[in-house]
Amino acid sequence: MKAQQILEQLKGMLAANQINIDPDALYDAAADRYKKYAKAKKVLDVPPPTAIVYPNSVEEVKSLLQFCNQNGINVIPRSGKTATEGGLENWKTETLVIDGKNLNKIINIDTYNMQATVQAGVPLQALEDQLRPLGYTTGHSPQSKPVAQFGGLVATRSIGQFSTLYGGIEDMVVGLECVFPDGHIARIKNVPRRAGGPDIRHIVIGNEGTLCYITEVTVKIFKVFPENNRFYGYLVRDIDTGIKVLREVMVNGYRPSVARTYSEEDARQHFYHFHKGKCVLLFMAEGQKDIAEATGRAIEAAVEKHKEGILEQVDSQLISDWFDHLNWSQQDIDDEFQGMIDNDKHDGYTTEISADWENIPKIYHSVINRIRAEFPRAEDLTMLGGHSSHSYINGTNMYFVYNYNINCAPEDEMRIYHHPLQKIIVEEALKFGGSMCHHHGIGKFRNEWTTQEHGSAHYMLEKLKQAFDPNDIMNFGTIFFKEEGAKFQK
Amino acid sequence: MPKQIICLVKFVPNVDGYQYDYERNVLIRENVRMIINPDDACALSLALQLQKNEPDTQVEIVSMGPLSVLPLVRDLLRRGVKRATLLSDKRFVGSDTYVTSRIIARYLSTISYDLIVSGSHSMDGDTAHVPAQIAELLQLEQMSNVKRVETENNAEGYLFFEVESEGDRSRYRIELPALLSLSRDSPYKLPFVRYTDLKLEVDDRITIITNDQLGIPNEELGLKGSLTKVVETYPKTLEEKQRIVVTNDDQGIETVYQFLKERGFV
Repeated sequence: MKAQQILEQLKGMLAANQINIDPDALYDAAADRYKKYAKAKKVLDVPPPTAIVYPNSVEEVKSLLQFCNQNGINVIPRSGKTATEGGLENWKTETLVIDGKNLNKIINIDTYNMQATVQAGVPLQALEDQLRPLGYTTGHSPQSKPVAQFGGLVATRSIGQFSTLYGGIEDMVVGLECVFPDGHIARIKNVPRRAGGPDIRHIVIGNEGTLCYITEVTVKIFKVFPENNRFYGYLVRDIDTGIKVLREVMVNGYRPSVARTYSEEDARQHFYHFHKGKCVLLFMAEGQKDIAEATGRAIEAAVEKHKEGILEQVDSQLISDWFDHLNWSQQDIDDEFQGMIDNDKHDGYTTEISADWENIPKIYHSVINRIRAEFPRAEDLTMLGGHSSHSYINGTNMYFVYNYNINCAPEDEMRIYHHPLQKIIVEEALKFGGSMCHHHGIGKFRNEWTTQEHGSAHYMLEKLKQAFDPNDIMNFGTIFFKEEGAKFQK
Repeated sequence: MPKQIICLVKFVPNVDGYQYDYERNVLIRENVRMIINPDDACALSLALQLQKNEPDTQVEIVSMGPLSVLPLVRDLLRRGVKRATLLSDKRFVGSDTYVTSRIIARYLSTISYDLIVSGSHSMDGDTAHVPAQIAELLQLEQMSNVKRVETENNAEGYLFFEVESEGDRSRYRIELPALLSLSRDSPYKLPFVRYTDLKLEVDDRITIITNDQLGIPNEELGLKGSLTKVVETYPKTLEEKQRIVVTNDDQGIETVYQFLKERGFV
């Protein structure tokens, strides 16, 4: 079906103001932040979608998906538009971007049962703003909080800055509603736990728009006690020391809401006012007063145990102030976009991986050494480092951070800089038995390693795709490698 | 418009990349890379722009230097230069600006061209002698500090261009062939090598010329052929950057804001 026919059909399904074919909007929808520089310079190499549509109800989502399924039209589910890994990039000539922004109702805040139900297009910040005056929080706080929406958060298995206490989004979702390509609407009910077969929430959470469209989400809420927050900061000898202290706190069963350690280079860009050229370790303890105090004592004990690597303690107010300015807003995104146009430079990139405690330092050092030795444009790097920011009882993540002087045409930047760097990081993470992506999702630019990531269990992913999306209309190229899309990657 | 454009190119140490050891009071020269002289990069950028506008235009770079600059020559070919000629001979080593001009002019007298472009100054020597001397030897008109060359409305056999001197900008017309020397303040930016051309094989487009082909008497080359001698060299004076401490008040905020604004961060 050609573009004009698709648009004609859409007019019979939606109101005119629900169909967007503005060329600027379609160009914007052609790619996400993975190709941010090429996008800013107006040299994207991917086709724009046919239209962006804004359904007002789950029934309209159903009709749209059935229409696309019957006619072989690619669908990119979108909600929040903060993707960083190409999950929102379009590789097909005929594509509908189904944007959830009109699904924006907060349906219920239930403080007795400690859960809130929202439609997929509700911004996380909007729910948080409703909860805080009541003394509650979602506990979810990714840097994109001011912009991100629930559909996107759940679809990408998002994580927030306080995850060590509250968990990732997968720990928060108690139920949801989603629509499959054949039009089936599935509602997963909200219960505290059940043993009714496999946990089918996890078919939906993290599907990155490749299996279904999320229309409604119910998440846990938590009581919040900001007056009890305690902050701890330290300069440490090396990132290995920082990781050891993180492990000490976690394996002893404590749950600080924030537990992070930064390499020297990464600390320099975050903590310019106190880093002194050293690595940084920091914690935040929160919750009921006695819990926060106990967590604080555990942090101090862990620091004492590894004191040979601790250089000095930092004023806790500096850590508190830093947290207050950590999130990026739509204005920050817009400013970076304009900066790329005006100054031929951007704020850099990140690639996040995870592994157990034993292997995470090995991965960190292997990656840094390989990049310095192998990356052909190493002399252009202006920053290369990383930090661990989400810890678990059995391991942690590593957020590699890098920036560079862009000495190439905008349309080549991915292939010359970001992708080769990401390739080294992914290869090392997989080599040491870690995961190649901790919380951004696979998107389209790590799909060449999806089979390696999952090994023999990839069979299960493949079968899910075949069962729920037999016509392969859902977000072509995301998660699953496609030879047809390789020309946009390599 | 010119169809055969020669661009004179010099490869120089990136002296802007030198760091200074303030404790030992010496330049740190390690890891300093060779680069195309910035003024020459502007000239080449102009030539490539003219070539892009008129596809039958041919840009050839001519450089004098050791064979070790060949990777940099290849890089320029991958940016769109059609041909490169490297004048390279141990007998050339130590030549002053006059002898250098004679060597390059001798080669240029053997080929045809409509326009020669070059930089006005080089980062390392900065005498600005060579372009003018080559023009004199070839009996061409020459102008330095060219800021902009008009790519439209030129009568056949002529070019309009602008020169900036002591704050004034003047517009000139020059008859071709001629030698125009650009300054690094001109708006022309060298295109990047495209990803698909990063490993493009270009050696078949490089010609290496020695004095065997040019035939200049050996005694007129190198140090012994040079009538001028360098009396003294001294490193560029570098001063430690001024440290400014501001307080958290309106004045301090304004100082930081202006600092960031001047550097394009806000």
